[in-house]
Amino acid sequence: MPVPLLKLTNVNKSFGPIDVLHGISLEIFAGETLCLLGDNGAGKSTLIKILSGVHKPTTGAVEMDGAPLAFDSPRDAAERGIATVHQFGGTFPLMSIGRSFFVGAEPTRRVGPLRVFDRKTANETAVRAVRKLGITRIDDGDRLVGGLSGGERQALAIARAVHFGAKVLILDEPTAALGVKEAAHVLRIVLQARQSGIAVVFITHNVVHALTVGDHFAVLIRGAKAADFRKGEKSREEITDLMAGGEHMAELEAEIEGFNAAAGQAPEAVR
Amino acid sequence: MTSDASRAATTAAPNPAQDAAPPAPRARRSLGGLLRRPETGSLIGLAAVFAFFSFFGGADFLSAGGFASWLNVASELGIIALPVGLLMIAGQLDLSIGTILPASSMTVAIVSGRFGAPIVVGILASLALGLAVGYLNGALVVRTKVPSFVVTLATLFAVAGFTLGLSVILTGSTSVALTAPEPAKGLIGDYVGGKFQTSIFWWIGAVVVVEFVLHRSRYGNWILALGGDPVSARNAGIPVDRLTIALFMASGLCAAFVGMEQAILFNSAQVSAGQSFIFNSIIAVVVGGVLLTGGYGTVAGIVFGTMTFAIVNQGIFYTGFDANWASAIIGALLLAAVLMNNTFRNMAMSVAARPKA
Amino acid sequence: MKLGKTIMAAALAASALAIGAGADFAQAKGAKIFVIGGKADDPFWSKVKKGADEAGLVAKANGGSVTWLGPANYDNLGPDAAKLIRTALSQHPDAIVGPDWVPAAEDDAFKAVVAAHVPLIVYNAGGMDAAKRLGAMNYVGSDEYVAGVGGGEYLGAHGVKHAICVNTLPGTSNIEARCKGIADGLAKSGGKTTELPLPSSNFGNPTAVAQAVKAALIKDKSVDALVAIGAGDADALATAIPQAGLADKVKLASFDMDEAGLARIKAGKQFFAIDQQPYLQGFLAVSLLNGYVDYGVDLPTRPVLTGPGIVDASNVDATLAGAKAGAR
Repeated sequence: MPVPLLKLTNVNKSFGPIDVLHGISLEIFAGETLCLLGDNGAGKSTLIKILSGVHKPTTGAVEMDGAPLAFDSPRDAAERGIATVHQFGGTFPLMSIGRSFFVGAEPTRRVGPLRVFDRKTANETAVRAVRKLGITRIDDGDRLVGGLSGGERQALAIARAVHFGAKVLILDEPTAALGVKEAAHVLRIVLQARQSGIAVVFITHNVVHALTVGDHFAVLIRGAKAADFRKGEKSREEITDLMAGGEHMAELEAEIEGFNAAAGQAPEAVR
Repeated sequence: MTSDASRAATTAAPNPAQDAAPPAPRARRSLGGLLRRPETGSLIGLAAVFAFFSFFGGADFLSAGGFASWLNVASELGIIALPVGLLMIAGQLDLSIGTILPASSMTVAIVSGRFGAPIVVGILASLALGLAVGYLNGALVVRTKVPSFVVTLATLFAVAGFTLGLSVILTGSTSVALTAPEPAKGLIGDYVGGKFQTSIFWWIGAVVVVEFVLHRSRYGNWILALGGDPVSARNAGIPVDRLTIALFMASGLCAAFVGMEQAILFNSAQVSAGQSFIFNSIIAVVVGGVLLTGGYGTVAGIVFGTMTFAIVNQGIFYTGFDANWASAIIGALLLAAVLMNNTFRNMAMSVAARPKA
Repeated sequence: MKLGKTIMAAALAASALAIGAGADFAQAKGAKIFVIGGKADDPFWSKVKKGADEAGLVAKANGGSVTWLGPANYDNLGPDAAKLIRTALSQHPDAIVGPDWVPAAEDDAFKAVVAAHVPLIVYNAGGMDAAKRLGAMNYVGSDEYVAGVGGGEYLGAHGVKHAICVNTLPGTSNIEARCKGIADGLAKSGGKTTELPLPSSNFGNPTAVAQAVKAALIKDKSVDALVAIGAGDADALATAIPQAGLADKVKLASFDMDEAGLARIKAGKQFFAIDQQPYLQGFLAVSLLNGYVDYGVDLPTRPVLTGPGIVDASNVDATLAGAKAGAR
């Protein structure tokens, strides 16, 4: 058994008197996708925030490459190769693709005594990185991020994380706001990232999406890990029922999927 | 990409000819290239306003004196609008400029006019005052997380109170005379050719500096990111707090500069000056296409917005219109400009997001 | 000149009596006068207070007193002034002086003063109308319109044919009265006055005011005088005239004055300033009441106007001396 890239042992988190997470233990391996499943309020976001350095666990240990670890800030986590991509991907809708790609790490070149932002390099690098993920529609780094579709923004954000050497890629509901086709694109990119050896943490409450990309699954219910299993160990219906706390969700779920398919596309991402 | 690179080099003056050059497959993109720039809207607004007043204002408006009329006003407003624009792009407002300006006027007039210190001392004291209030604004915004609207509203009043109180204690008056010697007068507050204020040249200098900072240096990227999403900007490693404080200090410094310049130009300082700069700078910046909520804006747009406002504000006196209606025209212009900016911004996005083939 | 003598006499009386005051304790009790005014650190009111204090030397010499009551700030002026009036009344005064800034808030308090048979003089604000309405003895103060007429007549007498009254506060009634006074005063000699209202987006920005006025001067070549409604605006107007290339032709006048304005008058760059002479408001109001309470003398002149005083090259030196002493 290889050493996990990230390991959580018995992590608890409480905000004052409110316990949000209890006894979470997880192992995240390079080149694998861990799907974190759970209904709204199950504690998924708190867990992500612990992984990405926003919160510190109240008790319990976090290890990276076998060494104990405590992040001081999200920046600290980012420097150790943990990148988080949120639901709407690019968070700077009115910045150009090239500029937003390099926020905080701008390439510069010297012109006389001045250090000038190297726009050409920034744009070319950004465009190349996104195209490598199969988004060929993006060909101009001067375009505003806000002009991209939801899936393209996710792709841009993932490309950015990969470019800056992320070892762990945390994707917070990347497909939630996307249409079926766009979501498929993003799932393909997730697989691509995993293949390149990155550990992916994929947060979703869409079981179909999870099954498409996941190697390893953890289901959270009310702050506790309700199940932990590997690909092929449970059926879609079982997982759905687990997430809903044991209720029979299969029928409703199927019905919703049916509507979604009939509509062809879910509402566009907010721009 | 060559046309893109050269376009970047001419942000201050978009050149349609360059965009027309690429061959057919790019034609659609080059149209998008022009429309993608929301400051195109403010440039059209500027041209329309200029044409309007040229028509109704006639030869006097188009004379050197006519140009000086609005350039003089635009230069002072512009020096303040630039850092106010940067702050707005970064998602902050600064109302305190309205009293930093008279505080700075009074400082230079009291230090050098009343107490007879060398003019350099008065100038440095007034600029230091602007930097200090700017630092206070920035530090309060960063530490307390209170919205900058409220923080700078508080310092607006506090500075006004100190200015009035100290002026009366120190001079027994609310206005103080100042006679600045050369070369300070000629460099900072005088008329070139009897008409053009020296502040025009200071404005041009400020435009060059801010253009570099916002569009050519990495700091510009930080400012845009900070206004777009402060949390992500911080996570991306941008020193958000220091950047915010620096931006407030810049606006304090520029407001203080204009106050000091006016005191030297008019040989006098008044406690009650400056309030109109608060709204006028915001108007100029918003007419120039800067997003009121932050995250977007260009220096070219701010310059166009400043000129547009100054032309409307002064042009009416060259027309035969009843000056009572001036405010109404300014209001209509503001609304039209903002609607046009929105249209262009949306067009910029929709061109970029054309349907998939 | 008559005024100068009065002041001198008062000063003499004050110094002479101040020496003997301690010894003359048995003399008839002097007038206890309360004066309601603005904040003492307000540059305008500090001059009014100086006038009241100096007239108070006479009251003191006669065994009386003058007490200044001013609000801590101007945030709630009407109710605060009404409270001050009642405070004064509660201390068994012999006479009260007060400005009718906010009639709706203050009139009841003033009526209580009159009802208690305490002599009352309204000063600075309210005009003779307020004095009559309240049953006060007299009104001491300036009248914006009369001051404007005085300035307009003075312009007309010096050959001005077309003046512009630059109104940077359009819609403010006392400022409108100033401009209307200028127009009516100048009309007496056949001159014409144009009012130039500037939008609020120009307020407090001398550059914008200067450029707007320059445009108006270029636009209408018949203009030969500019009137500023305040001392601050005069700084801006002073630069507009040479920018329009009309330094030889256009005369500059202003309501009120400050250091820079007096310097311009002395240097010949400003024609004159119209002064409402705040010192006299305090001085005359207290003096009139003092004479009335102690000796029963009553001035038949109603109202007593303290302005307009014209400050031009002929009296600028004396005015500068007065300014230095804090009286102007």
